[in-house]
Amino acid sequence: MDCYTANWNPLGDSAFYRKYELYSMDWDLKEELRDCLVAAAPYGGPIALLRNPWRKEKVASVRPVLEIYSASGLPLASLLWKSGPVVSLGWSAEEELLCVQEDGVVLVYGLHGDFRRHFSMGNEVLQNRVLDARIFHTEFGSGVAILTGAHRFTLSANVGDLKLRRMPEVPGLQSAPSCWTTLCQERAAHILLAVGPDLYLLDHAACSAVTPPGLAPGVSSFLQMAVSFTSRHLALFTDTGYIWMGTASLKEKLCEFNCNIRAPPKQMVWCSRPRSKERAVVVAWERRLMVVGDAPESIQFVLDEDSYLVPELDGVRIFSCSTHEFLHEVPVASEEIFKIASMAPGALLLEAQKEYEKESQKADEYLREIQELGQLTQAVQQCIEAAGHEHRPDMQKSLLRAASFGKCFLDRFPPDSFVRMCQDLRVLNAIRDYHIGIPLTYSQYKQLTIQVLLDRLVLRRLYPLAIQICEYLRLPEVQGVSRILAHWACYKVQQKDVSDEDVARAINQKLGDTPGVSYSDIAARAYGCGRTELAIKLLEYEPRSGEQVPLLLKMKRSKLALSKAIESGDTDLVFTVLLHLKNELNRGDFFMTLRNQPMALSLYRQFCKHQELETLKDLYNQDDNHQELGSFHVRASYAAEERIEGRVAALQTAADAFYKAKNEFAAKATEDQMRLLRLQRRLEDELGGHFVDLSLHDTVTTLVLGGHSKRAEQLARDFRIPDKRLWWLKLTALADLEDWEELEKFSKSKKSPIGYLPFVEICMKQHNKYEAKKYASRVGPEQKVKALLLVGDVAQAADVAIEHRNEAELTLVLSHCTGTADAATADKIQRARAQAQKK
Amino acid sequence: MAFPHRPDAPELPDFSMLKRLARDQLIYLLEQQHEVDKLYKVENKPALSSNEQLCFLVRPRIKNMRYVASLVNADKLAGRTRKYKVIFSPQKFHACEMVLEEEGVYGDVSCDEWAFSLLPLDVDLLSMELPEFFRDYFLEGDQRWINTVAQALHLLSTLYGPFPNCYGIGRCTKMSYELWRKLEEEEDGETKGRRPEIGHVFLLDRDVDFVTALCSQVVYEGLVDDTFRIKCGSVDFGPEVTSSDRSLKVLLNAEDKVFNEIRNEHFSNVFGFLSQKARNLQAQYDRRRGMDIKQMKNFVSQELKGLKQEHRLLSVHIGACESIMKKKTKQDFQELIKTEHALLEGFSIRESTSYIEEHIDRQVSPLESLRLMCLLSITENGLIPKDYRSLKTQYLQSYGPEHLLTFSNLRRAGLLTEQAPGDTLTAVESKVSKLVTDKAAGKITDAFSSLAKRSNFRAISKKLNLIPRVDGEYDLKVPRDMAYVFSGAYVPLSCRLIEQVLERRSWQGLDEVVRLLNCSELAFTDMTKEDKASSESLRLILVVFLGGCTFSEVSALRFLGRERGYRFIFLTTAVTNSARLMEAMSEVKA
Repeated sequence: MDCYTANWNPLGDSAFYRKYELYSMDWDLKEELRDCLVAAAPYGGPIALLRNPWRKEKVASVRPVLEIYSASGLPLASLLWKSGPVVSLGWSAEEELLCVQEDGVVLVYGLHGDFRRHFSMGNEVLQNRVLDARIFHTEFGSGVAILTGAHRFTLSANVGDLKLRRMPEVPGLQSAPSCWTTLCQERAAHILLAVGPDLYLLDHAACSAVTPPGLAPGVSSFLQMAVSFTSRHLALFTDTGYIWMGTASLKEKLCEFNCNIRAPPKQMVWCSRPRSKERAVVVAWERRLMVVGDAPESIQFVLDEDSYLVPELDGVRIFSCSTHEFLHEVPVASEEIFKIASMAPGALLLEAQKEYEKESQKADEYLREIQELGQLTQAVQQCIEAAGHEHRPDMQKSLLRAASFGKCFLDRFPPDSFVRMCQDLRVLNAIRDYHIGIPLTYSQYKQLTIQVLLDRLVLRRLYPLAIQICEYLRLPEVQGVSRILAHWACYKVQQKDVSDEDVARAINQKLGDTPGVSYSDIAARAYGCGRTELAIKLLEYEPRSGEQVPLLLKMKRSKLALSKAIESGDTDLVFTVLLHLKNELNRGDFFMTLRNQPMALSLYRQFCKHQELETLKDLYNQDDNHQELGSFHVRASYAAEERIEGRVAALQTAADAFYKAKNEFAAKATEDQMRLLRLQRRLEDELGGHFVDLSLHDTVTTLVLGGHSKRAEQLARDFRIPDKRLWWLKLTALADLEDWEELEKFSKSKKSPIGYLPFVEICMKQHNKYEAKKYASRVGPEQKVKALLLVGDVAQAADVAIEHRNEAELTLVLSHCTGTADAATADKIQRARAQAQKK
Repeated sequence: MAFPHRPDAPELPDFSMLKRLARDQLIYLLEQQHEVDKLYKVENKPALSSNEQLCFLVRPRIKNMRYVASLVNADKLAGRTRKYKVIFSPQKFHACEMVLEEEGVYGDVSCDEWAFSLLPLDVDLLSMELPEFFRDYFLEGDQRWINTVAQALHLLSTLYGPFPNCYGIGRCTKMSYELWRKLEEEEDGETKGRRPEIGHVFLLDRDVDFVTALCSQVVYEGLVDDTFRIKCGSVDFGPEVTSSDRSLKVLLNAEDKVFNEIRNEHFSNVFGFLSQKARNLQAQYDRRRGMDIKQMKNFVSQELKGLKQEHRLLSVHIGACESIMKKKTKQDFQELIKTEHALLEGFSIRESTSYIEEHIDRQVSPLESLRLMCLLSITENGLIPKDYRSLKTQYLQSYGPEHLLTFSNLRRAGLLTEQAPGDTLTAVESKVSKLVTDKAAGKITDAFSSLAKRSNFRAISKKLNLIPRVDGEYDLKVPRDMAYVFSGAYVPLSCRLIEQVLERRSWQGLDEVVRLLNCSELAFTDMTKEDKASSESLRLILVVFLGGCTFSEVSALRFLGRERGYRFIFLTTAVTNSARLMEAMSEVKA
């Protein structure tokens, strides 16, 4: 194992640091790294280089080239920089390249050098120019901090939701601070700056001087400061070659180190990992790299070439012209296993497995040793964990083999940790490949999550790999494959050299009806690229017609949108389209469109009924729908018009419409109503009282009740009220008046068309038995029994019923025989029945 | 008297979950989102509250929007500024926002939604409380609520598992069903793999069976609804019932032990049952005599409360019965029922017509007259032209000319039509049926389609044997079939359809009936192959009435369930009856 730990360097007693190569870079740089603005994104992200001629010569004779490379040095993009001078480059959390120009404008580029957008950092920045700028990451996203020529700071904590904050002035600041950094504390971004021997902390409200606790004396200037990846720790490098390390809150010192190098370092970054034993910073000078921590000695490396440091979650990436390396603290599990002469269970297990392969009996000895201590589970876990931290697949394999070997001797070892590690490593090895160039460590991968990793692969247009990973990890389609295919399709529609048909067909072939793929989103993208025809073609594939509507509207295909909306069955959507159409088309076209869509038409009619009566009328007019037009005017005659003349006029229009609709009945009825209205008006004028709007029946009743019999008769004749109705009407009215004399006279005026039973009924309703009896005698034979029963003459009813020999009548009478008074009658009926039966 | 369920009858799903869900949502909306502290009923009058914020919880109706707009504008005139919030239930409609915009208050009002669509009125009855559904869809052809129906069904299937067997008939049914399926597909995965709790769902449009809804109800619950109008599962009994000067609000559901036993009974049995019950109660009270102290203590602490409760309920229902008796046992009512039965059976049409005419002439009741006319029209495939004219004339003379519009509505809905000479009808009919086969025609509700519909009631009645042949008196105490809900004279068409389809597990063999119902393209069966449904769930049936169902239908199906060992669950857009149907069609002066 000796050779394996050869690159391990101890720092103090507790921790080892190792540096290993990720890639050898053959990126063929035209410029020296030191002549460039360099920005490398964390989590194995891309590297952007921009030759920075302004700093040196101040004259831009040649336009510089902005180049973007993968972490393995493969070129992703290269473009001629045509905008203004750039002060700083940086990557956002979404892997967008932010280029801060001298005038405070920030240009945003995609991974492939595609221009996305730009924004300005404000007028103040524009006036005073940018002196220095930093791109930093907070929990909300990525921010930009700017130091202006006036030595003021402006920052935005999240470029996605741009809110500019101008930080307070630092009193007495005449020159640029010797160094500065952004600090994220309590969910807000602050700025820490050093001016001579003093440190100032700027928050939104104030500028306060701060002193790091336990700072060695004699400091006259700070040359570098570094905040750790998690923003928890801060390191300061002074002009005395002294390094202070403490918490970012400046409340606690962790350790200090004196390196005795007074030259300002080129870069200083933290190198630690979550739950690391040691807290160390890496300091880089031109040719020297130093790892310092809480130990009297430091680790030193010689740098052969110009190098650049990229802080990561669990270490530091170092790249130069020819190599790309990773420097980190050796994780506990690896240390336990590989440390020289380690007796940790994992180390023994690894040894055991190796012996086993050699078919040596020592395997058994080692295994026994672990088992005796009862540490086999722990050993397996250690091996699994250590495998995760190994970069080389052969080491991963041997550790996993050991774990698998140990597992055989365990009864109940849950298999998922092993399986998951195998899967994760497979994914990691795939993406670490030179061609992909994302050198994620296991811890970074876990922190980043598979979803984000997939997004990044999609961003790099590595669709097949992303899909393979999804399928390999069996991610649900909606989150995995479908999403990636959708992204692919969105990319596909941007290929302008391919014809609409081909693109649409290609997309449909790949996507089919994969669940979770929204064709409308893809179509929206196509429309965004100005390919309307393609968008429409793509929309055809969208199974949910409702989804097609908004885009169709946007593309001004309103009529198509209307039929799609109707297909979707969502009336609200139909309505949205209707209103669009209404504004877009002239009235005639709009109506014509409606005419072909009955469902939309009825919807719009409903709306008009409440909101736009005139439009409703026009609609009916256009359709020659005279029936509805007539109804419309009838309604208007009592809802919209007040004056009698207006109402009659409305009715006249209605009647005309009804004639046109060949609805003679309605037309006649309407004309009758016109007559009635006029008449009612006259009655009101002549007799007083209230007549208008009464029904014909009620009008006549009112007349009778008011004693205007003649008028009532006249009206009945004029409007041809049938005799039956008139008789009922008069009968009821006179009974209500309790004008019994008049009623009798009326009953005798001629033979009643409704018979005389109603007279009996009505009198009884008024509780006038006396009058009722009068009429009972005149009731015809069929209804005689009923009449007699009504007036309560059970006995006589019985007689009549017996006389009629009608079984139903007998039963009816019998049901009225209650109490003792009717006992005799009941008897009589029973006898009659018996007799009838005998016969 | 009361029929217990068969011992193997399945348990009903627990619908209180729906209530809790809705309540929690509402509380969250009102308290957390909108900080409401006091509730008022929305009435068409100025708001009296002096609060800085007004929040309206309304149905998405244009009328309501105009009311809100008028309030806002009134405040503006008075120089007041407040916050206005509108919560739409069950959903927001674009048209409503449009009205706010046109009234110039869109910017002042913020909108929200309360997706509450299912109110459990009883253990087996869910109502969407959308009485306007009937008019909106069946008269105006407005399909806005179909989405709401689909959403409600979707909610049910997410809560109670997928429905393995679906049957349906009617255009609206078909559209709702398709939309629902779409929703399920979009969100599949959630319900997949769940065991179905409800084995069958049967959807039907109200216009498939208007006849049943138009008949006078004679089972107790229906009669109470016809007489006193049950609103949201409770009824206001006026002084004539409570025999005091106050009126009493009574919740009518399975919780009410007395009501639960009589709700499905033919009215002629109810009184006898109640008096028997009263005697039993008295006997229970009487047990007090001769009790020793300990027994008495026991009695008071354990039984007395229950007895008192029962006593109170009993007196309420006896009061209600008396009041109904007073109204309904009169000769008029019996004549009315007789006429209805004559119409259903199709004899002495002439006499029935004159009865209706007299009914109109005497101005007995506008809605009743209208109802009888519709019943005549539907059972007879439309009125003969002479009667059509004369009845309408009589009606207009009695109740005013605005009913010209009512008749136009009824004609459009196919409720009151004129018999047309044969060939013109078939011309339109063929045109419509051509439209129906068209792809988009599933979505067409043209005014004309209903005009051409023949009701074919007589033929359907014969096919489905809706008029039971009875030898001798129909014993209403021991009902033999569902006809008991109409005194043994008629089996509700809707219920018979459900019975037949459930028996066959499809529409097979009912083709002729379906054709006669004008639903040739609109009846469907949808069964899932996988047989995960337990035998218990297969005896649970959800019946969905689009356009409303009556208590008589509910009673009839409950009876059928008891006979066959099923349990029916009802989902309706609203509980309806003949009067409500007629009101929905009537044009009344504002």
